[in-house]
Amino acid sequence: MSSDFYTVSILPHSGIIIKICRAYTDSQEDFEDYYQEVCLQIWKSKDNFREQSEWSTWIYRLSLNVCLTLLKKKKNNRQHFTSDSLQIEATEDSRVFSDEPLNLLYSAIRKLSEIDRAVILLYLEEKTYQEIADIIGTNPNNIGVRIKRIKERLKKLLS
Amino acid sequence: MEKSIEKIWKEGFLKNDALIAPKINDLYNQKSIDIVDKFRRLYKINIIGITLFALILLPIATFVHIPYMGIPMFLILMSVANFGMKFKKKLDAINKNANSYQYLKSFNDWTKEMMAFNTKISRFLYPFVFLSMVAGFWFGSFGGNIPGNDFVNRLLIEFPDMIMIFGLPLFGVIGLLFILILLAVFGGKIGEWDLKIGYGRILKRLDALLADMEELRTA
Repeated sequence: MSSDFYTVSILPHSGIIIKICRAYTDSQEDFEDYYQEVCLQIWKSKDNFREQSEWSTWIYRLSLNVCLTLLKKKKNNRQHFTSDSLQIEATEDSRVFSDEPLNLLYSAIRKLSEIDRAVILLYLEEKTYQEIADIIGTNPNNIGVRIKRIKERLKKLLS
Repeated sequence: MEKSIEKIWKEGFLKNDALIAPKINDLYNQKSIDIVDKFRRLYKINIIGITLFALILLPIATFVHIPYMGIPMFLILMSVANFGMKFKKKLDAINKNANSYQYLKSFNDWTKEMMAFNTKISRFLYPFVFLSMVAGFWFGSFGGNIPGNDFVNRLLIEFPDMIMIFGLPLFGVIGLLFILILLAVFGGKIGEWDLKIGYGRILKRLDALLADMEELRTA
């Protein structure tokens, strides 16, 4: 990947990628792998960007897809190596931000299903229901109800 | 008052440490080390397998009175294992401190050298193995009888005018030579198939990864 492309086209949107990758990983090592894989896939798929959406929206979509794929692979690998299905569940996050409430919120988000994590991340990034539906590939009418339910669950997890 | 999740999110990311992007440098390193390590493990298992097979085959062949097969097979298998060990030493000597691209390039060069050598010796290996097997059974001893002699005697009773060469029926010698020539001609291809069965998946991954990296370098 050329450093120009990374600096000009990816780095200004790295916040999006970081926020998404954090929600799908529980260790710094995994986080760095996911981040790098997302950047690599953005670079490889850049020619597929059709300008029908914002570049940032496209990055959201691609980041989510890459994270979901990597998560699935990771789960499959763990299933190969362990007979105890309980061990597949999320482990404690080994990283900490200096902001404690954000740490707690991320821990709670990681307890959600993979799709709910995507929905709430996009909601917190102030995407409209239509944008969320476009990125996830679902009906915008269901998004509002889904967000309400997720927020209630997060509140319970945080209290 | 309890903060809303929206507020926690916004305020949390105002802190400096929350959005630091990691450096992009290690992904290909990890992938390349993974591929070479897998190949090294498989290659080592293969060499150990060949050595064990040779060591087991020799006493068994002697025990069942087919030493003409057991001894040459033992020698050829041990030679193959020995060549394998020499190639493994070269593989271990590849500089791991080089960057991922150079590391994979060196590994790719090594696989090409190893495959070319394998193709070359396969032209001799397969005819030699076949000849050992035929010799083993022809000159073996089963219940005090030598099967080759028994076979020739029976043929001579049936076809007394049969042309013989060095005490062997001419058609048998021609047939044997024909098979040996076929094995010598196609031995290289058989060797290639053999390697593809064992290492094909890893070599494909290596090609894909190298192509990926070459594309990145030219971008």
